[in-house]
Amino acid sequence: MALPTLALPGTLLGPASKYAPGPGTHIHDASIYASIVGTVASSPSPNTTTTKLPLLSISRPGDAGPTDSANILPEVDSQVLARVTRLGARFASAEILVIAPANATSISADAAVCSTPFTAQIRREDIRATEKDKVTVQDSFRVGDLIRAVVISLGDQGGYYLSTAKNELGVVVARGEGGEVLVPVSWREVKDLRTGRGEARKVAKPF
Amino acid sequence: MAANTDRRRINAPSGGTSAPVFAKPVKEYGYLQSLRPNRTRGPDELRKTFLQTGVVPSASGSAYLEVPTTTTSSQPSLIPPTSSLKIAASIQGPKPLPRSAPFSPTLVLTTTVKFAPFATRYRRGYIRDSAERDLGVHLETALRGVIIGERWPKSGVEVVITILEGDEDTWWGDSKAEGGAGSGWGLLNVLAGCITVASAAIMDAGIDCVDMVAGGVAAITGDGQKVLDPCPAEHQDIVAACAVGYLASRDEITELWLKGEVGADPDTLIEGATHAAMGSVSVLREVLLENIETKTKAAKEGSKRKLEDVEMTG
Repeated sequence: MALPTLALPGTLLGPASKYAPGPGTHIHDASIYASIVGTVASSPSPNTTTTKLPLLSISRPGDAGPTDSANILPEVDSQVLARVTRLGARFASAEILVIAPANATSISADAAVCSTPFTAQIRREDIRATEKDKVTVQDSFRVGDLIRAVVISLGDQGGYYLSTAKNELGVVVARGEGGEVLVPVSWREVKDLRTGRGEARKVAKPF
Repeated sequence: MAANTDRRRINAPSGGTSAPVFAKPVKEYGYLQSLRPNRTRGPDELRKTFLQTGVVPSASGSAYLEVPTTTTSSQPSLIPPTSSLKIAASIQGPKPLPRSAPFSPTLVLTTTVKFAPFATRYRRGYIRDSAERDLGVHLETALRGVIIGERWPKSGVEVVITILEGDEDTWWGDSKAEGGAGSGWGLLNVLAGCITVASAAIMDAGIDCVDMVAGGVAAITGDGQKVLDPCPAEHQDIVAACAVGYLASRDEITELWLKGEVGADPDTLIEGATHAAMGSVSVLREVLLENIETKTKAAKEGSKRKLEDVEMTG
């Protein structure tokens, strides 16, 4: 059966034995149906170890560019860029601004900018992987820092839970009191180049 | 004086505001009866429907539905023979839930149905009344059955419906009580319209659904005849009516509202309503396909233009 080019919700796309369901589709009675309005695309399976079936997906006609993303939510294991909004004794609050696609390993050009920021929390024990009991929130982040983090849980009613417990996760842009950009000098310190004054941060490893 | 009078606005007269007809006294019985609208379409013929999506730029999805009146009065009169149905729907979200809301692993759906104050022959208040809240609940059950809520954890979506003109319950010449409680036949038409237009707006917003839901109404008249898409003003003697929210390609019903003396066999009435819903689905399908074609064309042209720009500057 040939695939239709355009699909509406409820359009039969093909049997689930011949295709794998991708974004914008769902399975009902062992067949794949469309669940949004858009153009149908069939691509070879991105993960050939688990399945060899071609992936059927539907893209919304509006979002041609990667920046348009009214319809993206943080998922567990997705990398995000967030801004620190508040520091507490046991956790730091942040707002998620940019979300990388779920299967991407890093934030690149196809990351999506959130239409509304999502509130998130970084608990003290999730800031770094080692010597967790010695971590203090104050010495890891400051309000206004941009951080790269990974979502570890959808959390409770309050917000998503983020973690920076990896080398490549942590503060990516830090600013001093005067607004000047601080430069990382080690994995736990940033420095103002002009004055030479250092501040403590959990710094993300540069690529 | 109504209890819910709005003191902050300049209120229009609380009674009707129809234009007066001075050529003849409307209340004269023979003249009044000559104005009575009659159903000119067949019993299984639907009224024409106008549907458009993307009418509200600030909403993530929106749609507008209009079912114009089909009867043309033989007598010249400034009062339209029947009302028409005009509904606008807009979708806000999916957006993160407010801080106070408890955790929800699925999409939280909120529906608000409001008649505009000028939507019916007798003015509606600014505050939602019980009929409007009732419609909202019915609409929510109709939509909840199609939306795949698991794809949107911790998010809420708001469906806001404004009825600009609602189908009336009886012909205006018959309504004796001033602003009295009607029979409610018109509400079924309004509900079916709300379901169709909300469905179109949800598709426009790109929220995952298992199918397209559409509304349809059927009724039984006094002589036992089954009519699809009844306009209550054209029928003096509706005995029972039924509105459904129907999923055409799955053959499922998400919402059912039966009213009146159905008799021994309610199934034919429900089946008739699903047939009327099929008509709405075909309109919905046409509109969405047309929409997506223009959108993809625009996207293609936009990207082409972008490429040309790069060539010229680079």
